[in-house]
Amino acid sequence: MIRLEKVTKSYGVTVAVSELSLEVNQGEVCMLIGPSGCGKTTTLRMVNRLTEPTSGRIFVDGQDTAHVRPEQLRRSMGYAIQGVGLFPHMTVSKNIAVVPHLLSWEKERIAQRIEELLSLVGLNPAEYAGKYPGQLSGGEAQRIGVARALAADPPILLMDEPFGAVDPMTRERLQAQFLRIQRSLKKTVIMVTHDLDEAIRLADRIAIMEAGRLVQHDTPEAVLSRPRNKFVHDFVGTDRALKRLSRISVSGFVRQSPSISISASVEEAAAACVRRRWVWVVDENQRLRGWIDRDSLHEVASVRESIVATDPEVIAVAETATLREALSRMLGQGLRSVPVVDDRGRLLGEVTVTDVENATAAREA
Amino acid sequence: MAQRLLGRNNVALVGSVIGLSSLFFSWLTLRPNRLAAGTHISLWDSAGWAATAIIILWLACLVSSLSGWGKSGNRRAIYLGMTANIIVVVALVLVGLTATLLVGDQSPLLRVSLGAGFWITLAGAYIAIFAARERLRGRGAWRNAVSWTALAAFGIFLITGLLQNLSIWQEFSGRESRFLQELGQHLFLLGGSVATGVLLGIPLGIWAVRSKGAERPIFFIANITQTVPSLALFGFLIPPLSALSFAFPALRELGIRGVGTTPALIALTIYSLLPIVRNTYVGLRQVDPAAVDAGLGMGMSGFQIFRKIEAPLAAPLVLQGVRIASVQVVGLVAVAALIGAGGLGWFIFQGIGQAAPDLILLGAIPIIALALMVDAVMRAVVRLATPKGTGKESQ
Ligand SMILES: Nc1ncnc2c1ncn2[C@@H]1O[C@H](COP(=O)(O)OP(=O)(O)OP(=O)(O)O)[C@@H](O)[C@H]1O
Ligand SMILES: [Mg+2]
Repeated sequence: MIRLEKVTKSYGVTVAVSELSLEVNQGEVCMLIGPSGCGKTTTLRMVNRLTEPTSGRIFVDGQDTAHVRPEQLRRSMGYAIQGVGLFPHMTVSKNIAVVPHLLSWEKERIAQRIEELLSLVGLNPAEYAGKYPGQLSGGEAQRIGVARALAADPPILLMDEPFGAVDPMTRERLQAQFLRIQRSLKKTVIMVTHDLDEAIRLADRIAIMEAGRLVQHDTPEAVLSRPRNKFVHDFVGTDRALKRLSRISVSGFVRQSPSISISASVEEAAAACVRRRWVWVVDENQRLRGWIDRDSLHEVASVRESIVATDPEVIAVAETATLREALSRMLGQGLRSVPVVDDRGRLLGEVTVTDVENATAAREA
Repeated sequence: MAQRLLGRNNVALVGSVIGLSSLFFSWLTLRPNRLAAGTHISLWDSAGWAATAIIILWLACLVSSLSGWGKSGNRRAIYLGMTANIIVVVALVLVGLTATLLVGDQSPLLRVSLGAGFWITLAGAYIAIFAARERLRGRGAWRNAVSWTALAAFGIFLITGLLQNLSIWQEFSGRESRFLQELGQHLFLLGGSVATGVLLGIPLGIWAVRSKGAERPIFFIANITQTVPSLALFGFLIPPLSALSFAFPALRELGIRGVGTTPALIALTIYSLLPIVRNTYVGLRQVDPAAVDAGLGMGMSGFQIFRKIEAPLAAPLVLQGVRIASVQVVGLVAVAALIGAGGLGWFIFQGIGQAAPDLILLGAIPIIALALMVDAVMRAVVRLATPKGTGKESQ
């Protein structure tokens, strides 16, 4: 789908990208990662000809891009630039509508698309559609930038650190969202990131660059278990086992877990706590409310009183989360398991530390 | 007390002191004829009630500016501004009535002209009015009242004839048609040169942004032209244009001569170029490069980028440049009278030649008024052209 052949870009004496060859297949997510200044942005911009290569050739769909009109080439690719670059004099919805306008879509279709995209990036359409970029936070602006790149539903996406400025929790949600959409839409994506965990989680293949050169282009598993050289080895760091966990979704490990209703009596609770020390507490709608500990049941009159009602957001993970996050929540709460909830906060089950161990062992083998 | 003094309003204070000092100067001068020496009439010698009113009003301004804006800043600013307006109105009534009284049914050659005291009070009042205006930013109705009340009263007095016995009016009433003709010429020179400046300056500014090679020479030339004294520039144009019209009589038919409208238009156009070129350049340069980049990345053509992104974002600054050029040219047109191009400057130079200060004022006052009006209109245009989302209020 996208093929770079010995592409070089030099600015005077600086060689930003050197003899880089890279192939990204149709429907594949290629995460481009490397230290600052190694040429990631330059590589990305050569694909849509915002930067012309000094030498080498680039093919999109088998066609040499040097022979395609730049405007036409670019309209088939969504591009989220590193600096966001929203148009300050246009509202959020006008910003998103730019490419659909260029492609002369009908009004209703554009309006519908705007609403769809805003919800997709987790911003309430009613609240955000009419705002101006000057009224957005950095993270919100960045998400609008992503929505704008997706607007005309292009088959190819070039994204330069699209989630760089959003908070970890939102980023986690956007990544999960991205994976879900990608599974059904199968876009061809080149995404630049500085965050190795993000690369490992989202990539079909990771391209690691160093000083303008491609040092390894492989699946995340391969990069983690067989780093090509010392640079990659150091780059992925010593916690490779932990990183591998972030490739594995908890959804395959959810198991039934003991739970009691928040309105249950103390006796019922004590009975539930016979087999193990803690059980999850849910409300009448099956929504997770916290957990109770066997030792805390002695001198209380109701379950409600002894509940450790930490914010479910903090103790639970979503179905879409990774084993790595599950493990980190367990360590945070000092429990040997973590509850898994659906998008309405309803308890689905739990993942235990043993599951995590088994998963690690299986991959190691 | 120390704190009260620290909180004082310096600009308004200066205005009030200037205003009070006007009491020591003559307010009117009575001459047997236009050119003869005259007798000075102080505030005390004219209508007593008005003199007392002006002194009390000025003292009120002084006290109010000594105590600063305070917590109820806007209310104080309104008091101060409106008091200054009333001072102007009273002063106008005073000089108008006194002049009528003095002229009576005496010789038509008798002249009553405005003296230093009147002008000083006017200056002091407008200093106070500007101080109050600054403070009232964003308070539309009161700000307008403070800015325009005295001017409106002046307009009414002009129409009703209250001021018709002042010598300026007499200078005017003999030359009404000439005045309208020169005013028209003034506006023509202003409009013609600024329009040409816009047509040339905006493309030059765009060119300077787009081409590294063009940037330096364009600004070199534009900057140089600003340093040539206006009179010299008018003079420089005489020889080449006379030579041209001498060589090609057909051009002469078109009005191209060494003196007159053509060289004036050329010189004024050259003067209006720098602010327009510079602001176009800065306006385009301050457009966020990331926005342009994003536009390109989305497949917009160079022209679409210009029309949809660069032009709307640069427009307020470009128009700001047109405003500066226009205000500057309103004043410079006055000099054009020296090379026979006419305009309100004609009265100024006639007045200088005849040592008739009232004739000078007949040219100078409308020029100042015109400059203020052009400034106000262009400011409104700039505001209208500022896209929502980029104004100060949303940042
Ligand atoms: N227009 C340019 N002119 C000169 N040098 C440039 C230009 N653009 C990039 N470079 C240089 O090329 C190199 C690669 O830049 P690039 O922007 O591709 O880095 P990057 O990997 O995206 O870095 P970051 O992670 O910080 O965004 C850098 O050394 C940079 O200074
Ligand atoms: Mg970059």
